[in-house]
Formats: sequence, structure tokens, C-alpha cells
Amino acid sequence: MLPLAGIVVLLIASTACAATSTTSTSGSGFDGTVLEPPQPKPEFVLTDTNGRQFDFQKQTAGRLTLLYFGYTFCPDICPVQLAQLAAVMNRLPDVERNSVVVFVTVDPERDTSQVIRTFLDKFDSKFVGLTGTVDQVEAAQRAAGVPVAVKIGDGADYSMGHASQVIAYAPDGLAYTQYPYGTRQTQWVHDLPLILDRS
Amino acid sequence: MKLWCAALNKPWSWHWIAYPGVWFTVLLPTIVYLVAVRRHRNTDRKTMWTFLTAMVIFWVASDWPVGTLGAGYLASVHMLEYVLYTLVVAPLMLLGTPEWMARRVLGKLHLTRAHEWLAQHLFVSGLIFNIVLVITHSPIGVDTLRSSQLGSFAMDMSWLASGIILWLPILNPIKEQRTHSFAAKMVYLFVSAGIVPIVPASFLTFASYPLYSTYELAPRVGSLTALQDQQLAGITMKLGMVPVIWGALAVMFFRWAAQERAT
Repeated sequence: MLPLAGIVVLLIASTACAATSTTSTSGSGFDGTVLEPPQPKPEFVLTDTNGRQFDFQKQTAGRLTLLYFGYTFCPDICPVQLAQLAAVMNRLPDVERNSVVVFVTVDPERDTSQVIRTFLDKFDSKFVGLTGTVDQVEAAQRAAGVPVAVKIGDGADYSMGHASQVIAYAPDGLAYTQYPYGTRQTQWVHDLPLILDRS
Repeated sequence: MKLWCAALNKPWSWHWIAYPGVWFTVLLPTIVYLVAVRRHRNTDRKTMWTFLTAMVIFWVASDWPVGTLGAGYLASVHMLEYVLYTLVVAPLMLLGTPEWMARRVLGKLHLTRAHEWLAQHLFVSGLIFNIVLVITHSPIGVDTLRSSQLGSFAMDMSWLASGIILWLPILNPIKEQRTHSFAAKMVYLFVSAGIVPIVPASFLTFASYPLYSTYELAPRVGSLTALQDQQLAGITMKLGMVPVIWGALAVMFFRWAAQERAT
């Protein structure tokens, strides 16, 4: 039965390696979607979950910044993206120390500061949550270069169609990559230290 | 209409989902079995109830909610399904199949020789069981097969078939094919289902990152992270097999001892 054990080890190892291997896009060395040319960090001021003004460009300067537009009632994509980020930050303490995850709601009508805080705390209490007026939030999305979210449906149970990618700004203030829904933890772990080095 | 449980790519909900394909797959052999047993009055009730128990567990493991959770949300439930199919349903189906029925079914399906050959070749049976285990627990296997109903059905059926092949040399319904010694059967079961599966189970338990995109990117169910769920899957594979395999080994050991005493 020893050959049997050998076959099992080889098969599992090969498939496990395939699952965790990294494939960079466009030869850049990144696993994420490369932005050509790199995008500058947008300027906007919103309100954080403590009710204070948060100047996105100023208060994230010099740090790896992961910007995500979503909403707390999102049933699928937002919780998965945030859970992925929380898991990866937990694995990379050096990256976590020098980075900030910023969640901007696209649904300010329902997402009060308290609702956002409660939602983010399920993933990581260090995640920054921002809200503002509908106009401010739309302006922030335009500044970041993502499509402005649209309301789908009527009544209290409406949903929001919104950009699902996380934009990663390096400490030099430029976004070289973004990460669509479906990005694996192995891809995050591969890219974040590389982005952090771009200072 | 959904026939078989596959990844749904939407948030988990406790709203019931109908899977007529599952009902058909469970009911058809059950009805055929009951009709055959009724006609052939020689079958004892214990055998019949053993088969019916197998079919009930088969149904529970395949239908909503267990089947749905295992197909697209939780690797640990996927593993629970595997353990149920291969280590509970398959041996109970063999124990619940009367000899006359096994002969008739194998004859009609032209599988008599293949059945006999597999029952005699322990290495081949063990190899098939473990190849199916590896393929259906490899990341590419799981992510490919669980994404469609047909693939998911193929995976579940391959589990059941590999379970039957595993147990065939031990619980063969056909008497004259039970030729292996107790020692050979014990070593075979211990190595095939007690030792070799520890390797893939360890990969799951000790991996640093989730291996399956199906479960990593699924909306979470409960408070388990994707990695914790995967670790639980590995532990389920390791520990889930313990009571069945060691139970079967103990039964064989005591029967062997009784046989020795009698001779």
C-alpha cells in the first residue's frame, strides 16, 4: 500500500500547489488587476463612524490603503470581500501595521455610522467606515474612478448595484492594482507586501 | 428547476429548496428493492431495514439542507457528506442487499465478473477508493464539479460507488466470494480507509489558506471563517472515519477470535 500513499501525496500536493500558485497579470508581478497608468489617490472628505470628518487623502497618506465601496445590507459580495481582507490582514501583521482598510457606504440612507460600525466590527474593528450625504458618497465614487452605485428595487428591501473591486493604493499614493470579487486570499497575500514596498 | 445540489452563489438561506433529482435517485432504488423483497419472501426484516436505513441516510446527506450546504457553502459539510456516503451508506447498502438480489442485479447489469474481480483484488479496491477520494477533494476537482448540478451529482455518485468498492471485499453479499482471511481484510481496511486518507485530511487541517475557491468565496454561514471551516473539514475526515473503521476492525477481530476458538 506504500505506492498508494505516494500517489495520494503527489496528487494532493500538486493540486494544492495549483490552488495556491500565483499568476501575475500582464507580467507586472501582481496577481490583481493592474491599472495602467496607476491611479492617484482620490480626494474626498466623509464622516467616520465616530462622527468625525475623515479626509481620505490626508489621513491615509504614506500607508497602504485599501478602498472599498459597499453597503451593509449587501447579502453576498461585501461580506465576502471584507472577510477576505480581514483574514489576510490577520495573516500579515507587518502589512496590517502599515495599512488601512476604508469602507465607504454607497447606501447612506440606511447605513448610519452606528450600522456601519456594527457591520465592520464583525470583520475587523480597525476597518474604517465612512458615510456622508448621497451627493458626497457619489462624488467619492467618481473621484475614485468607480461607477456610481445605483438603487435596485423599491421599498425597504432595495439593494444597491455597486462596484465590487477593492482599490489598493500604495504608500506613494498611487493605485497600481485593484481586486475584483473572487480574489483569493493567496493572491492578496502575494500582492500586499509588494504594494507596501512601493513607497 | 434544480435536480441536484450544486453551488448556488447566493447567500445561504433556511428557505427550503426542492431537489426532485435527489428524490428520484433515492426513491427509485428503494421502490425497486421493496417490490423485489415483497416478491421474494425469503428476505429477513433486519436486512430490509438495514437497506432502508442506508437510503434514509443517503437522502439526508444528499437533499436540502445538508446537500446544499455541502455543495456550495461549507467544506466541513462537504466532508460530512463524504463520510456518510462512503462509510455509512455504502456498507449499509451492502449489508442490506440479500444474496439473491445481488446475483440478479449483477447478472442483469453484466457486472458479475467485475464485481468478483474487485472483491478479490484488495489493492485495486483500495486504490480506486483513494483515487476517488483525492480527485474529489482536490481543489480543482471540488471547484469544477461543485459548480454544476451534473458535476455535483457525478461527485456524489462517485463517492457512493467508491464506498461500495471499498467495502466489497469485506461485506460482499455473495458468499463464495468472501475468500479473504480476517487478517487480510483488517489490514486492507486499516490501510485503505484508516491510514491513507490521513494525508489529504492533514492537507486540509494544516493548510495556511483556504484551498477551495467554492467555499472560500461563498457567503459565510455562521461564524466560521473559510479557513476554520476547512480545518473542521480535515478533522471531520480524520475523526469521522475513526468510529466506523475501528468499529469494523473490532467486529472483524472478535469474529476472527470466535472462529479461532471454535476450531
